[in-house]
Amino acid sequence: MLVLTLKERPHVPLEAEVLTPDRLAGLSHAEVRALPILRGKRQLRLDDVFEVEGDGGEEVELRGDLGRVKLIGRGMTRGRVVIRGNAGMHLGAHMAGGTIEVEGNTSDWVGAEMRGGLIRISGDAGGQVGAAYRGSPTGMSGGAILIGGTAGLEIGMRMRRGVIAVRGRVRDFAGLQMKGGTIVLGSGAELRTGAWMTRGTIVSLGPLRLMPTFAYACAYNPVFVGLYAKYLEPLGVALPSAATQGSYQRYTGDTAVPGKGELLLWRPAG
Amino acid sequence: MGGKVSCTLGEVKNRADFLVYWGGNPAECHPRHFTKYALMPKGKFVPRGRKDRTMVLVDIRETPSVRAADLFLQIKPTKDFEAITALRAIVKGERVDPAIVAETGLTVEQLTDLADRMKKAKFGVFFFGMGLSMTRGKHMNSAALLTLAAELNAFTKFVAMPMRGHGNVTGGDVILRWTTGYPFGVNLARGYPRFNPGEFSTIDLLVRGDCDAALILGADPGATMPQPAIDHLARIPTIVLDPKVTHTSRLSRVHFTTAATGISAPGTVYRMDEIPLPLRPALKSPYPTDEEVIRRIYQAVAAKPPLAPPDVPPLAILGR
Amino acid sequence: MLCCKDPRQAGGYLKGCRLAAKSQLRITGGRVYDPANGIDGEVRDVCLADGKIVAEVDGGRTLDATGMVVFPGGVDVHTHVAGAALNFARAMIPEDHRGNAPFVRSPGRRSGIGGATPTTYVTGYLYAGLGYTTVNEAAVPILSARHTHEELRDTPIVDKSCCVLMANHEILLDLIEKGEIERARHVAAWNIWAAKAYGVKAVNPGGVAAWKWGKDAKGLFETVPGYTTLTPAKIIQALAGIVDGLGLPHALHLHCNNLGAPGNVGTTLETMKVLEGNRAHLAHLQYHAYGGDDWYTMRSESARLAAAFKANKNLTCDAGVVLFGNTVTITADGPWQHLLYKLTGKKWGNIDVENETGCGIVPYVYKEKNLVNAVQWATGLELLLLIDDPWRIFLTTDHPNGAPFWRYPEIVQLLMDAEFRREQLKKLPAKAQGRIVLPDLTRQYTLYEIAIITSAGPARALGLPDKGHLGVGADADVAIFNAGTDYARMFAYPRYVLKAGEVVIEEGEIRNAHEGKGLLVRPAYDASVEEFIRPLFQQHYTVAFDNYPVELERIEHPEVLPCSSSP
Repeated sequence: MLVLTLKERPHVPLEAEVLTPDRLAGLSHAEVRALPILRGKRQLRLDDVFEVEGDGGEEVELRGDLGRVKLIGRGMTRGRVVIRGNAGMHLGAHMAGGTIEVEGNTSDWVGAEMRGGLIRISGDAGGQVGAAYRGSPTGMSGGAILIGGTAGLEIGMRMRRGVIAVRGRVRDFAGLQMKGGTIVLGSGAELRTGAWMTRGTIVSLGPLRLMPTFAYACAYNPVFVGLYAKYLEPLGVALPSAATQGSYQRYTGDTAVPGKGELLLWRPAG
Repeated sequence: MGGKVSCTLGEVKNRADFLVYWGGNPAECHPRHFTKYALMPKGKFVPRGRKDRTMVLVDIRETPSVRAADLFLQIKPTKDFEAITALRAIVKGERVDPAIVAETGLTVEQLTDLADRMKKAKFGVFFFGMGLSMTRGKHMNSAALLTLAAELNAFTKFVAMPMRGHGNVTGGDVILRWTTGYPFGVNLARGYPRFNPGEFSTIDLLVRGDCDAALILGADPGATMPQPAIDHLARIPTIVLDPKVTHTSRLSRVHFTTAATGISAPGTVYRMDEIPLPLRPALKSPYPTDEEVIRRIYQAVAAKPPLAPPDVPPLAILGR
Repeated sequence: MLCCKDPRQAGGYLKGCRLAAKSQLRITGGRVYDPANGIDGEVRDVCLADGKIVAEVDGGRTLDATGMVVFPGGVDVHTHVAGAALNFARAMIPEDHRGNAPFVRSPGRRSGIGGATPTTYVTGYLYAGLGYTTVNEAAVPILSARHTHEELRDTPIVDKSCCVLMANHEILLDLIEKGEIERARHVAAWNIWAAKAYGVKAVNPGGVAAWKWGKDAKGLFETVPGYTTLTPAKIIQALAGIVDGLGLPHALHLHCNNLGAPGNVGTTLETMKVLEGNRAHLAHLQYHAYGGDDWYTMRSESARLAAAFKANKNLTCDAGVVLFGNTVTITADGPWQHLLYKLTGKKWGNIDVENETGCGIVPYVYKEKNLVNAVQWATGLELLLLIDDPWRIFLTTDHPNGAPFWRYPEIVQLLMDAEFRREQLKKLPAKAQGRIVLPDLTRQYTLYEIAIITSAGPARALGLPDKGHLGVGADADVAIFNAGTDYARMFAYPRYVLKAGEVVIEEGEIRNAHEGKGLLVRPAYDASVEEFIRPLFQQHYTVAFDNYPVELERIEHPEVLPCSSSP
């Protein structure tokens, strides 16, 4: 397996879109070392900034505080990227397949406009998880992004399909202009969840501040939540669904659009 | 996805009979706005001037601008996005939750009344200031008001425009767009323009410490930005061009005193509605213009051995 | 402000750029197409010296064009490449910028982006890269003309002309309503020079003025909202008469009322009647050629329109072809764009310019499977094939409305290759077949005809005697193509492009990005008209009168062409 260890935390961000299994597979050790990395406006060799062990392959492990290393896994379609540390912006953006695992925290734009595959982050993520880039009509359209810690603003902005699950609290605008797919909020969110959504489902196990343009519909235990729970459990996300445990309050909106999205707020029994 | 529906200021002067200032204090920040463009002047289709107009002011507190308003709506801080979204629904005849609306400091009745007045106007204008665009929600607050204006066009003529900051902010925006395609926050490190607010915008670069040199022209971030940004400016080599010694100058490595634009230096300024106006300096200055200083810096850089540009290809186009 | 870097000069980004060098060049061995001088594929030399075509040269370089096709440099008679409206559109579509291959900075080439709204340097490079050397910016508001000229200064290589918007200019409309045409003529002439323009543009006459109250003016003979007796017909007649009376080299450039609406061919035919006795150039005629009553019955009426057009010999037009794909619609037809926004839910931009005009912007995708788009695609090509006098109809897409201008080579292929056209027709929905006549049209354009519709014809219609031909005295603007049968490829990748006698493009590389000229007219007017305009201006505008005219110094290499005393 290929192991790249960051020599030192860069003083300005690095752009490392070469760090995908697609690009690395089949490369020799020397070829990996010669790959281009951008530091600001200067081009470096990969081995200027990383210690390199092994040859290129379908799996790569990155070690160190890569919080300033951007574009890792961008557009990847296969293979596995493991980061033992933090990761920078645009991790797994436009990804279509494969797996990314991060032991630390990530910056903004994780899985932006993602089409497939799995991203799992143990720590905190930044904002715009699975979101559309500015001006684009659509964000994430497939795949799954699982976050063990907190996340920032505008997660799932304009997403169309796929699932984002965050165990910790998220900030404002989760599910902004959502068009489809599912967001699971393990600890609720700050303001403006589901603002301007047209379709899609936001499941929240923690408190939300509702927009004035959402209306209470009913309390129930939707069947699909049970199915989702089975899908998410092996991925480490516990989603309550049994009527004995409680029920979900359903709110529909956003009437400002007008939209047919739903918020499901968990109410434990008793 | 909404849009931006706007006009030049003469349209406001000649036609607008309903003005809403949201999150701005023009009496103090844009002192000629009322008298020259928006509220007082007699217009071609607004012959009695102020008498033919209604002005609504929406803000979190009473400012001197309230004196000019026919209706003051005191909104609670950080509630603008909710209030405007509720207005979007009310305008369409859709449901809103009165209790949650009331949390904004405004009631459903007040918002419904405002929506009715807006629909009945012949020509309505939203002017929005930093109280909207720089408070919690930021660009989404602006987007909300712009979208509301676009949607009101189903009923009557309505426009919205931001009250811009001082200096030639609009000019910078306009020129960056025609040369790079993007209005601000443009990254040229890879030899072509890239845009991503939050990543390449100035305040974020400084707060994160993502740059290792700075050239500041026509701005004073040392006075206005958050402390982490100021600390970073002090750490890295910072160059300032300004007619005065500013807060930023005091933490910079090099300060150039330059001639004041419009007073001693010629040029072209773009007004908030993007109309270009020539600047004819009235006075002479012993100092060089900003342009002269930049040209000389550029020539000095160009005389150095060229830095090989990255030959790595542009980022692959994905998601199209 | 900066537009070129001569690779032969060190560190030269900021050096003052000079006009073309005074070198001599002989282009030899190529098949020359110079329709203005009746040359149809003859192998002959073309000689250049001091930036002009000359009869002979003695010494200098030789460019061997054996096996190649030599055309006069392209002239785009109707495009939107600079100014407030286009720049507004740039702000609205960052995703389009990202979705097109960028232009990376290199010695001799500034960076930028392409796509539907190229940045200014890239606009110059892309046009030159197609062999175009002159462009006519078709819609300039006087109030922001200064902005347009600033952008044109940053558009390298090509020569530029501008048409200034007048058909919703309130001072003029008031005069026309009162019947004060003589005074209107002086006001118009004053405004043309104030804007440093070349021609007069009329967009949706009366309609944009009505849009300022949220309305439109669809009926040529109906009173314009806000007025008592003024009709679009009166505006059109008055402006066409004024343009001819001033002897402007280019006719009134007219975007007819009712753009894009099913059944609008009636308005276009009526407009042609109203124009009898005057010259006019009808812009993007495709968008004005529809039959049907609504979106479900919309169809092409190109045959009817072509017949009427052929009979009205005082008219020229440009096609305004639609191609399938992403683009952005930008037009001074505000009401149309609001409608498009309501129909599609896409992003909408609008800016009304006090007392003068407005614009609406909606990013759009033309799709083969969309019946309306299919009819639009066919209609543009039908007009080009049915109107058999290539001196009267020119190749455009109303860039960027129908498609970005860098896709013109695809249209050349559709016109020259009937087999290829038939293949494309198969992709249309079956229902379209009954709405269009394109399947019945077998005509194929020749290279000679392509040279007319892309160069000689537009130059003549614009009244530019030194453009669009390779006769002695012409500007030395030459496009040299590798001959081939893949016409889209041939015209997309000229082998050489020369501008003002210098090689600017060679095999896709920019060799020299010098500055182009600004083509202007200065029609005669009575200086006392300023005393009439000034008080009205101060009353209704929000800019000081002295700041209104564009200073001549802002025009890069201005060249003033004469107006004729009797047209």
